[in-house]
Parts: sequence; structure tokens; C-alpha cells
Amino acid sequence: MSPRGQLTAAAFAALSLACGDIASPRRADIYEWRLEVAATSGEGLDTVSFHWPAERLPVRIWVEQTDPLPADVAHAITVWRGEFLYGEYDATVVSDSSAADVIVTTGIQPDIGVSAVRLHSALAPQCAGATDINLSDDNTQLLLPIRIHIDPTSAPATPGLDECLALTITHELGHSLGIFRHSPNSSDLMYFNPSVPVPSERDRNTAEVIYHVPSTVEAVGP
Amino acid sequence: MPRLILLLALLLTGAAPRVRAQTEYYARVGVVGASNLLRDAIVERITVRQSIAPMVAAGGSVPIGTKGFRANAEATFASGKFHRNENGAKVDLGTLRTATLMLGLEGSLGLGLRWRGGLGVIQYWPSEHEGIFLSGGTTRFLAGGGIDYRHSAFANWDLMTSARYDFHRFRTGTLEDRGFSQAQAVSRISLSVGLSRRVR
Repeated sequence: MSPRGQLTAAAFAALSLACGDIASPRRADIYEWRLEVAATSGEGLDTVSFHWPAERLPVRIWVEQTDPLPADVAHAITVWRGEFLYGEYDATVVSDSSAADVIVTTGIQPDIGVSAVRLHSALAPQCAGATDINLSDDNTQLLLPIRIHIDPTSAPATPGLDECLALTITHELGHSLGIFRHSPNSSDLMYFNPSVPVPSERDRNTAEVIYHVPSTVEAVGP
Repeated sequence: MPRLILLLALLLTGAAPRVRAQTEYYARVGVVGASNLLRDAIVERITVRQSIAPMVAAGGSVPIGTKGFRANAEATFASGKFHRNENGAKVDLGTLRTATLMLGLEGSLGLGLRWRGGLGVIQYWPSEHEGIFLSGGTTRFLAGGGIDYRHSAFANWDLMTSARYDFHRFRTGTLEDRGFSQAQAVSRISLSVGLSRRVR
């Protein structure tokens, strides 16, 4: 190759290096996350999709000071925050429950509001969890706070209880960030009876997509 | 590559005493702007980009050979915000610091102008290990060049104005873990002014 040809080839090589884009992964493997509630007018169902808007971040979470809830909630926040690449989700623990967006308590509360939806999680035999999502009558507002209930159904020293609580809190926090349905796949954290302690790739894909589609409800609260 | 750079740096500094009379040192301040660090698509197109950031640079050069070329080493440091853009909305992602070290050649263009070109590395230090930097910063190879203009100000001191262009391929460990392939080409341009000292 002549010197001129070599120079041209080098210039093309440099140009291609300087102009190429990174190839992003396909995020096609997701599951349905939208909540279906009775339509406010006529028959049929309304589909509810929600994510915390950037201006409301970090989400304020109040947690009952019963061990190991505070540590498990902090861990769950770290886990979910780490699933996002672009700062879509963040949360912090607050000390004032009246100013909280999400409240985490122990025990399953029997009474939920007429318009509330409870997402039960049939977890390991040592514990159970549920998340209450309260919508306005016209299904346009998410009335805060979201309430997460953690129920240690076994004695404190029961083997596997700590793992169950940690898994349950991470699962329920997944509901509070916008995954309003359960995954049909047993290998996902958001399966109704999960066995994995952290979000799967499918959980992550679903969470990422949620934060890049418009919400159908507006968070209204403290 | 880091070993090669270290070797070149040692050679450069080792050569300095013998050519002390012709050594030049300089320091500059300016700004640096960069193209997108990342393009992604989750429903909508997302880009991540650094804001124009203040920068400091320092370096030196010594003559090599008999044709008027000089070997140079230059380090820069910049600190600024970075953000994501989606549908025209900009979301702050924190502070991102970058440092570069480049070794190269320079030569005269006349009228106080000099060209330069070189190779080196760029290091990214995010303020938080979050998002695309969840697994920490990253070090990438860097290539670039530029033009300096020097105007004699005082004895042995020159005012110096510099324009630089460099590019590298950006990727982080987190992006690799998440299934991103290849790397994002990032171009950077900087403008700076400063002082250069000739040691005679």
C-alpha cells in the first residue's frame, strides 16, 4: 500500500474509532407490571402504571424500629437503587412517619380502605408480606403513603426467618417502586412466592421500563 | 499500556537534566466539553453527558532529535456534573471527575504556533458509585492532539493559549455486566490559557 493509502486507511480507522456508539442490551424480557382496577365509568378495567417522578426523589420511607426491619429496608433500598443505570430511583429512611411516602410496619393490618389494593406475597413459611396501594376514586391519583406490612409468622429464633424477612422487604419495596403485579416466573424476586433474594434480570428490565413510560397516576401525599 | 506510559515518563524526566536549558514547563486553566458518554434506549432514547467543566492542565516538554521536535507530557484534571437527557428533560446524576495523562510529540508551525499529538489514558472518578458507575470509575486509552499559541510576556515566561481535541472509547464495568457491548466513542474539546516557562 502506498504511503497515501496507508494515511487514508489510518484516517478511516481513527474516524471509526471516534464515531462508534456503544451497543445497548435488548430489554425485551419483561413481565406485566400494571395494576388492573375496576374502571371508574362503565365496564371494564383501568390499567394503572406508576413510577416515582424525578422531582419526588428520594422516596421517603419510614420504617418501624423493630429488628431487623431498619437494616433490611436499608439493604432493600441499596438493592433496588443498584438496578437502575440513570438515577431513576432513590429512597431514604426518614424519622417522621407523617412525612413518609412509604411506611413499613410489622404485622398484617386487616383493614384496608375501599379503594386500596393489597398485593399479598405468599413467601416462605417463616414470614409473609403485603403492600397496600391506595388509589383515588377516579384512578388518577396514588394516595400516599404506600403501606408495606411485614409479618414474621414464626418465632424470632426460627431458622430462615432473617433471610425470609430480608427477601420479603426487598420484594415489597419492589411493589412500592411501581411493580404493581407479580411476575409469573418463579425465578424472579417479584414472583408471588419468591425464592431468590435479589432482583433477576427480568425484574430489572421491568423496573427499568416502568421508569421510562408515563405514569397514569400522580402521587399525592404528605 | 500503563507500564509503557510509565517507561516513557521516566525517559522523559530522565532526559530533562541533560537538556535543562531547553526545558519548558507550563500550567493552564480552561474548560473542557465532551460528547455523549452513552446512548441507550429504554422505550425512549437516553443519553448521558458531562457538562462543560473547569479544567486545569500542567505539563512540560524537552527537545528531541535535531529536527525541532519536542517530547511532551501533559496531565489534566476536570470536575463537573454529568446528567441524563431523555425527551428534552435533564436529570442530574452527580459529579464526575476526569484526569488524563498524555505523552506525545510537538513541533513548530511558526508565528508562535505549535502542533502536538499524543497518546495516554483517561481516568473517570464518579462522586458516587451509582448507576453506570456502580462498580466504580474506569480507565480508558486516549488519543489526541492540539495547537498551542505562545506569546512572550516576560523574560523566560510566555502566555499560552491552547486548544485540544482528544477521543477515547468509553465503557464501565457496570455497563459490561449489564450486557452493553462495544464502547461509546467520546470526543472532548478543551480551551485553556496559562503560562509557560522556559528554563535556561
